[in-house]
Amino acid sequence: MTDRRDFLKTSTLLGFGATVPAFLSRTAATAAPTGKPGAKDTILVVVQLTGGNDGLNTLVPHKDAEYYKLRPSLAIPKDQVKGIGHDLGLHPAMEATARLFNDQSAVCVVQGVGYPNPSQSHFRSMDIWQAASTQETLSEGWVGKALKTQPGPAFHLAAGNESAPLALNGAPVRVPSITSLEDFQLKMAAASGADQAAQKGVITGVAATPTSPGSPNRLLDFVARTQLNTYASSDKLATVGKNYQPKVPYPETPFASRLKLAAQLIEAGTGARIYYVSLANFDTHAGQGGAAGAHANLLRQLSDGLSAFYRDLAERGHKDRVCVMTFSEFGRRAGENSSKGTDHGSGAPMFLVGGKVKPGVVGEHPSLTKLEAGNLVHGIDFRRVYAAVLDKWLGIESQSVLGPGFDPAEVFAV
Amino acid sequence: MSIDAKTAWEPYTPSADNPWDLRKVGHLYRRAGFGATKAELDAGLADGPAKTLDRVLAGTPDGADFVRTSEYMASEKSMPSGTPGTRLSAWWLDRMLKTGHPLREKITLFWHNHFATSNTGVRNTRYMLGQYRLMNQHALGSFREMLVEMGTDPAMMVWLNTVDSVKGKPNENYARELMELFSLGIGHYTETDIREAARAFTGYELTNGKGTFNSRKHDAGEKTVFGKTGAFRGEDIARLCLDQPACPRFITQKLYAFLVSEAEPPSHELIEPLADLYRKSDFDTGKLVRVILRSNVFFSPGAYRARIKGPVDFAVGIVRGLEGTAGALPLAAMLEGLGQVLFAPPSVKGWDGGPTWLNAQTLLSRNNLALALTSTEGSAFGNRCDPATVLARHGKKTDEETVDFLLGVFLQGDVPAESRTRLLDYLETSKATKHPVYWTPDDVTNHRIRAVAHLVLTLPEFQLD
Repeated sequence: MTDRRDFLKTSTLLGFGATVPAFLSRTAATAAPTGKPGAKDTILVVVQLTGGNDGLNTLVPHKDAEYYKLRPSLAIPKDQVKGIGHDLGLHPAMEATARLFNDQSAVCVVQGVGYPNPSQSHFRSMDIWQAASTQETLSEGWVGKALKTQPGPAFHLAAGNESAPLALNGAPVRVPSITSLEDFQLKMAAASGADQAAQKGVITGVAATPTSPGSPNRLLDFVARTQLNTYASSDKLATVGKNYQPKVPYPETPFASRLKLAAQLIEAGTGARIYYVSLANFDTHAGQGGAAGAHANLLRQLSDGLSAFYRDLAERGHKDRVCVMTFSEFGRRAGENSSKGTDHGSGAPMFLVGGKVKPGVVGEHPSLTKLEAGNLVHGIDFRRVYAAVLDKWLGIESQSVLGPGFDPAEVFAV
Repeated sequence: MSIDAKTAWEPYTPSADNPWDLRKVGHLYRRAGFGATKAELDAGLADGPAKTLDRVLAGTPDGADFVRTSEYMASEKSMPSGTPGTRLSAWWLDRMLKTGHPLREKITLFWHNHFATSNTGVRNTRYMLGQYRLMNQHALGSFREMLVEMGTDPAMMVWLNTVDSVKGKPNENYARELMELFSLGIGHYTETDIREAARAFTGYELTNGKGTFNSRKHDAGEKTVFGKTGAFRGEDIARLCLDQPACPRFITQKLYAFLVSEAEPPSHELIEPLADLYRKSDFDTGKLVRVILRSNVFFSPGAYRARIKGPVDFAVGIVRGLEGTAGALPLAAMLEGLGQVLFAPPSVKGWDGGPTWLNAQTLLSRNNLALALTSTEGSAFGNRCDPATVLARHGKKTDEETVDFLLGVFLQGDVPAESRTRLLDYLETSKATKHPVYWTPDDVTNHRIRAVAHLVLTLPEFQLD
């Protein structure tokens, strides 16, 4: 495996030789010292469930009669949930995750996660989760801030037309969004190898040309920085993973492919500590389905993908290095609506998967009788989970990212 | 922006320290359309701002052939409801490439991003086409009429679940986005307003592909929205939104970001007169657009290159600049890699635009699309958009003429001297490059021209609008 520091040396500044442009060298990634506890090569994979995942049908309180009253057509029958103790069961489509929970002790479920005065707007609430802040104007993401505190490569594994999430904003070097390694190639119509080299020289050269000092243009700097960063990692990434054979089969879903791409980048030793993946379409206002149907299909993609990813990495000896964390911008209304779906709500579970998570269930399940405007009330602020991931897992001082007042939740075994 | 708020929105007139030049013509054609051709740049420079703006604002009538072909392609026979979305996307791109009135298509694109509806949720290409027509019809017309009609637009009704919303069990989706994204912006309504307004949008359904009202499924009771009480229907809620002071401000700010600058939000002082004008004109978007495009603000340094070029602008701008044509279907398909699929925005919030257009993936896709358009080797576009042909047409022969022509059309020559030198150096060294033995001297010349055209399009300055 390539050493992380070597990769940084060769990749980030690749192709610029001794003349690193000034505005780039100021922000070039440098590896953090690895002596600090929790800082040693650990990897975080953030999984965003876009649209508002229905927590109540994901982590099912199947002993609570109230649940069946609230969900006359959508409830998961008692005998179909995948029990994980604590009077809770996972949705039947999440059987693989239940196995990781029960057989491998590799899952930590945090129940009833949210934040005060929850917003019911997808965009506002997603921004709050991604920025880890409820301030009015949000321009930087929590991952971006974490990368500012501890610079290093990171990857956004994007779906086709998915733009980079706010969570990654603010990183000193723009986090690349990639959809496949093969696409990640700078193409040219060149008559020969020398012609190609000359063209590439111009393409990288014009991006490194400093803008005229008289008229600084923030957007132009941004474009040039993104171009340089992209060209620098393009060569390296194109060769990564050519010989990658998964140790376990991945499901044939776009989500699982994105996780497989993450596994390739991890196995290739790119040095990235943070990966960001999304799974969309959780906005189930109508025709959500119960044990089977639209929501079940989404949860199956999630669960089977995570399970394959975990087992693949475990076979390669990375299971104690990697932690996956899921979140969604909100849960859904406790009671179902007339379209056999659920409207926007709040308070929902987060999942952490990995060899070093504290196995089990953290927090209390939100009450189904004490609702606020029909919504579940959160018990744990999501920033306490982020704090744990930052402080206890990545070794990044959480206060510099989240501000004061968020005690790390007890989600790691270490 | 150091601009006097009093004269900000008065028409720009050239002065010694802010003269009318090619850069301003290029700026106008990029923002009010999809970029200029050499002929448009030359005419604009010669005619001065007033006359050039008249031309851009009015457009020219579309040719009869184009109208006939475009209408046929959009007919039910040619494009039934189950047609893949890419076909409709290609149809619109074809209009952008060929229309005599680019401003209208450009503002339609603004509204598409505003009422961001995706065929991935609607799954009916004819409904999507219907929504395009609604937006195109009102693009430079009445926002009031468009907002009211949007409530019964079939694509919108499916997209935001109005069709599922009935008395006793209202679906809040449309009511929420109407306020949050279509008219007011967050912070200008309460959760109660939304829940009440949702009741007003019950009872709308689709009958023979049209949005209709069914009083039996409608909640006819009284609702209280923004402190006003009445037995409101959907269209009443749209009108109540239009009456809120936040509404003209919200739309004006968005249009400002689209036409003027997304680098920084406008000050209160700057936006208020525009919002006022919009309200007083009863939401006449054409009037608002005309004032903005003629203004001192629009032609101020702060507006210049103050936007990241969107993918559609990037692609259409290249083809127009090269005076070519391009197959709209492969163009539509390739735009996906750049992050913009027409009629399939990522969410009801539309494309975030700005810096989010660019990441490693989309940037490489941009370069590769520019390559596919400028090289004649790829199968996607053939040679209908060939830089070598354009250079020959304009009689440009030497390396300097070649580089300056391309930089002139695409960037009005406004790049660092160092970048121009690099392009010239490339042309110089490429003379000595070993070319395949079977290439004729013309092949070599054309290859060098196409290669340098591709390089021009990868300049960081060209990624700005």
